[in-house]
Amino acid sequence: MARNVGEAYDHGMARWGGRADTGGLGREALAYADTLYNLARYLTHNPTDAEDLVQETYARALTAAHQYTPGTNLKAWLFRILRNTFLSQYRHERHNPTVGGLDTVAPVSQGVEHTQWLRGDLELDRLRKVVGEEIERALMSLGEEARTVILLDLEGLTEVEIALVVGCPVGTVKSRLSRARAALRALLRDYAP
Amino acid sequence: MTCDEARGRLLDARRGRLDPEALAALRGHLQTCAACAHEDTAEALLSEVLEGRLPQHAAPVALKRRLAAEWPGTPTAGPGPWRRWGRYLVPAAAVAAVLLIVVPLAGQRASERAASRMVAEAVNDHLRILASQHPLDIESGGIHQVKPWFEGRLDFAPVIRFDGDQDFPLRGGAVGYYLDRKAAVFVFNRRLHTVSLFVFRADGLPWPARGLTPLGGGQAHVTTSRGFTSVLWRDGELGYALVSDVDPADLARLAERLAPRS
Repeated sequence: MARNVGEAYDHGMARWGGRADTGGLGREALAYADTLYNLARYLTHNPTDAEDLVQETYARALTAAHQYTPGTNLKAWLFRILRNTFLSQYRHERHNPTVGGLDTVAPVSQGVEHTQWLRGDLELDRLRKVVGEEIERALMSLGEEARTVILLDLEGLTEVEIALVVGCPVGTVKSRLSRARAALRALLRDYAP
Repeated sequence: MTCDEARGRLLDARRGRLDPEALAALRGHLQTCAACAHEDTAEALLSEVLEGRLPQHAAPVALKRRLAAEWPGTPTAGPGPWRRWGRYLVPAAAVAAVLLIVVPLAGQRASERAASRMVAEAVNDHLRILASQHPLDIESGGIHQVKPWFEGRLDFAPVIRFDGDQDFPLRGGAVGYYLDRKAAVFVFNRRLHTVSLFVFRADGLPWPARGLTPLGGGQAHVTTSRGFTSVLWRDGELGYALVSDVDPADLARLAERLAPRS
């Protein structure tokens, strides 16, 4: 269950000596509520868990407010807290068959298949016609790591920022994103009419 | 540059992360390699689909209020209530200011972004019709031939109040897509210009609420983007997007004929 944000505020202020401009941080942080909730929905699969996850994220953010360096990317910092919270709590608490590493995503050949593009027009046509529900279903069927990198990339985070959020080298982010997008395209080829 | 190297740089190129030399090398490769050019197009389409059609879940208002209200603390823990009130007066005022000023402004900006997204989608869909060699699934023999053709192909019945005439002959129709849903596409002509009308379910879309123009018995969002004029309006449960590069006055005349009566 998500902690009360006020309790976290007390704890955070005590550790911070009450010197920080939490009001300013709060104003900025609250502006990302929609973005955080959207990622939470795609991680948890349901609105109730997503609300709990976002609330716990804000509670943890306030507790750790002294660790935030003003002027750095607050959005990426909040995403990192949200994902770590998800991994530490929700992932282990819920039996979620779709949660898994990128290893669960069917590997896509890194080699170039020169005959594949001959079927390309069909794929492009299907991609043009795919609807939101199908994209959402395809995205949800990917593993957690794949979903996360796709959504963070969609949020406009750079590969360096994504690496900070998910806690891995930039090169790994690059390959994960590439594999995740390839897996998504493969799924959409099947979903579209 | 090898194909593997090229494909590894496609996303970097689209994100503006390549230096000019690497970008030129990639473009050179794409001009000579059909397979990688296809890959580039597919990746661009995937980005377009994700950015334009993947449902975005906004945080419930109750959650936002709860987060804002709980920011300065709750009276259930810690020191007594009066001390807490004094301690949290300034932060509470700041939170109130956020709710009263920042949130509405953010909402306005979000509304403007959503309106641009709807317009951009309408223009993109119109461009696809212009670029397609076979844009029509059914050639027109009049609206009474075109409209029944949609039966069983859509999850709604498109309502069209104008059958076409000499000024705006109806060429035909097709099943298309608008954002995350199916749409009935009606194609009219105005002299040598093509006019596309998309009819779709209106629910759940971020309809523009500002800068509306009177149209028939309702209001419409009229804007020009990339040389195309688009008119968006709602009529009951259905939404309409009319797009063309014809003279805006001509498009307005057609929109008046299609719009709900007052």
